[in-house]
Amino acid sequence: MYRKLFIALLITILLAPAFLFAGGTKEGSNEVVIYTALEEDETSDYLALAEKELPDLDIKWVRYSTGELAAKLIAEKNNPQADLVWGTAVTVLANMNDLFEPYKPEGWNALPAEFKDPNGYWTAIDMYVAAFCVNTDRLAKKGLEIPRSWEDLTKPEYAGEIIMPNPGSSGTGYLQVSSVLLWKGIKDGSEEGWDFLGKLHKNIVEYTNSGSAPAKIASTGEISIGASFGYRVAKQIDSGYPVEIVFPEEGSGYELEANALLKGARNPENAKTFLDWAISKNAMAEYSKYKIMVTLPGVNSKSEIPMPAASEVKLFDMDFVWTAANKTELVEKWTSLFQNKTIAK
Amino acid sequence: MSTISTNNLQSKKKIFEDKYIVYIVGGLIGIFLLIFLALPVLNIIRLSLTEYLPKQHEFTGKITLANFIDYFKNPSMVQSLLNSLWIAIWSMLFTTVLAFIFAYGLTRTTIRWKKALYYIAMVPLVAPSMLQAMALISLFGSNGLITAGLLNTEWNIYGPNGIIISEVLYCFPHAMVILYTTLSAVDSRLDEAAASLGASGLSSFFKITIPTARYGIFSAAALVFNLAITDFGNPIIIGRGYKVLSTEIYLQVIGMQRFDLGTTVAVILMVPSILAFLLNYYFTKKSASMISSLANPEIPPSRPAKKWIFTIYSWFIAFVLLSIVGVIVYKSFVKVWMYNWTPTLSHFNFRIPGGMGVLWTSLWISLIVGFLGAFLTMLNGYIIEKKNPFFAQPLYLFSIIPAAIPGLVMGLGYILIFNTRFMNLDDILYGMPLLIIINVLVSNFTLGTLSSITNMKNIDNSMDEAATSLGAGITRTFMQVIFPLSKVSFMSNLIYYFMRSMVTVSAVIFLISPDVHLAAVSVINLEKDGKDGSSAAMSTLIMLVVILVLIVFGFFTRKKKEMTVIE
Repeated sequence: MYRKLFIALLITILLAPAFLFAGGTKEGSNEVVIYTALEEDETSDYLALAEKELPDLDIKWVRYSTGELAAKLIAEKNNPQADLVWGTAVTVLANMNDLFEPYKPEGWNALPAEFKDPNGYWTAIDMYVAAFCVNTDRLAKKGLEIPRSWEDLTKPEYAGEIIMPNPGSSGTGYLQVSSVLLWKGIKDGSEEGWDFLGKLHKNIVEYTNSGSAPAKIASTGEISIGASFGYRVAKQIDSGYPVEIVFPEEGSGYELEANALLKGARNPENAKTFLDWAISKNAMAEYSKYKIMVTLPGVNSKSEIPMPAASEVKLFDMDFVWTAANKTELVEKWTSLFQNKTIAK
Repeated sequence: MSTISTNNLQSKKKIFEDKYIVYIVGGLIGIFLLIFLALPVLNIIRLSLTEYLPKQHEFTGKITLANFIDYFKNPSMVQSLLNSLWIAIWSMLFTTVLAFIFAYGLTRTTIRWKKALYYIAMVPLVAPSMLQAMALISLFGSNGLITAGLLNTEWNIYGPNGIIISEVLYCFPHAMVILYTTLSAVDSRLDEAAASLGASGLSSFFKITIPTARYGIFSAAALVFNLAITDFGNPIIIGRGYKVLSTEIYLQVIGMQRFDLGTTVAVILMVPSILAFLLNYYFTKKSASMISSLANPEIPPSRPAKKWIFTIYSWFIAFVLLSIVGVIVYKSFVKVWMYNWTPTLSHFNFRIPGGMGVLWTSLWISLIVGFLGAFLTMLNGYIIEKKNPFFAQPLYLFSIIPAAIPGLVMGLGYILIFNTRFMNLDDILYGMPLLIIINVLVSNFTLGTLSSITNMKNIDNSMDEAATSLGAGITRTFMQVIFPLSKVSFMSNLIYYFMRSMVTVSAVIFLISPDVHLAAVSVINLEKDGKDGSSAAMSTLIMLVVILVLIVFGFFTRKKKEMTVIE
């Protein structure tokens, strides 16, 4: 008797979760599953609007960091679990066309050509700009000036006071390295950019895996200067850290965040409805509360956080087709020049 | 005469049936591990040996050793292997010694407040592995409360030493659980006998106590070695450029989307981990059981000096463990750490998917994991240790491998293999909490099984034999003899599983779906978003939930006072 009871118990325990949680199939529903690299608090705001404007859609979403999102898309390639990608770095997406289905959302024509893929693989919604996060409190204690330019960062007094993201793992890191290389004329065959990065390397303490980490580490006063991006620094100021946002005098690199429809999506129609909404005027107006610039002309940034408008910042000339196409080579060269040295010391 | 022969026949039939039950139950556990452990791991090994086209995001299927050759040709990669070993060995030594002395104090001396000390020692289990490093930086970073605030020194904790200290803090309770179980079951009368024969305290400690507890010591050391070598959270935060294998996997897979190199590093990482457990297995095989069912839990009163030393030591450790957690709790109530100490509750206003609901999701998933895990590992330990069927060795090997596999790799392995439309498997498993439950269950199978085996070793075979000769079948023996005797072990496994599940991040980060958001994952996401305060606040709430649940558990166990070893 005990035996039977025991076996029954065992089987119940082993199988119970399957019965408890096996959901129904998702096909044909009004569901749409979104992967995004946008931050959680801004996304909550955007989605509050989306739910109001798209009441028929059942929106489900997960937020990943850019790298996680890319790794997850690749791992799920043969059986995508998401329907679309929303607000993710273009230099990452542009290398993954094989995972996407071209789609030109309603209103696509209103966006300037540089903010979208000509075939509709990706459509950008906003721009984010590289910036330095400078801890004024720590600099004052060390008796150092606030650096204003890239050249300033190579001065010997900042040795051990700068932290920067790794271009291999961080979109922001790649954006900074590639923009400096472009600025120094790498497309014309100049090696000056690499020399400059070498000088910079002497002052750098660590290359972090993510682009927001340098801003965070600088704000907590662990380091004086973190090469990061505008939104992150502005948020740190907003949270009350003694930091200042510095856009280097020579120029700042920038990057687009874009949407894409996944090949093999389960709910392609719902995904398209959402993608149409995602570049609508109302959506753009909502993004503009958080972004330095949105891609729809006529919608001006009204950032609620302390950040200048795009027009007030000097930007480097970027070439996303080129930076995306050369990513592997540039990162490999950067790694062989700097990464290994860091570890060796 | 006739009665005896029918009895014989019956018992023969029973033995026959029992054998089949062992085969079926053991077989089921084996198949479970085969599917949810061997399959993803073998797949990772296969991928590390396959050519990958990074631009096409595709494995070609061509077998190659190129990944491994590239690895060993790159001096910085080789350095990360040496660094990992360095961290793991020192963490193992420090943790095992510190935890052993602590467990000894709890089991062999008559210091007071043992229960409180036991629970304080478990406190680090309620925190994600990053928490130790985060707290250490808040205290000893270049702008830490103690380094910059109090001492105004340039010295800081970054680098390998910081990693080792974080790992010791993180691994301490894991080692303590095993050593406590061991020491509370080893027959302490041997010590008494030695003492009455004139052996000094120290000499009986080294000649009796340590040798009799060696199963536990080897198990604890091997486990710490593995936890430290596979941990990713602490090294990435506090290492400052000091590369280890686990951070290298993250960089390759998440950073560069190089699944080929990531899986290669994962395979390299598995080698020392599995070796550590094989060594452990070899040692435990060689030793005979030192444990008697007559083990006497009564401890003679300790001498005052001994009592004082252990009291001071234990409370010092307890203080350190509590401060680490305390810093994080404190941080969740101040506006900006080091800059603005105004008290605030604003960090508890979470703007994340799921909101506060993430705590409930985590709670019920963890409760299921706790019960299932404790039960399965106890069964597993019973079958391996007491029933010893022909497949006991492979089953043991399978059971110890999970600790050797970093959570991140396990999570990746899971999506790479279980994300398939075949029979709509993905609807059942993938994106459902079921896969998360199984993942946490399997990832922590090692410690559960090891502590359950240690526990089974402590139950004298005569118990089992007596039950059988009195005519009890295996199920009855298990439920009425083994289970009650294993209550402490069952409860500690349940609590362990429950806690692990509440705080696991790296494995499940790939398995969370739009329907299931977990609290521990939110801690990391909040931290990534620069919301240190909210991240600390979520950690605080997780710890609060776990402690509340522990109090409830404690209430149930207290009712069966005669069974508890903790006084």
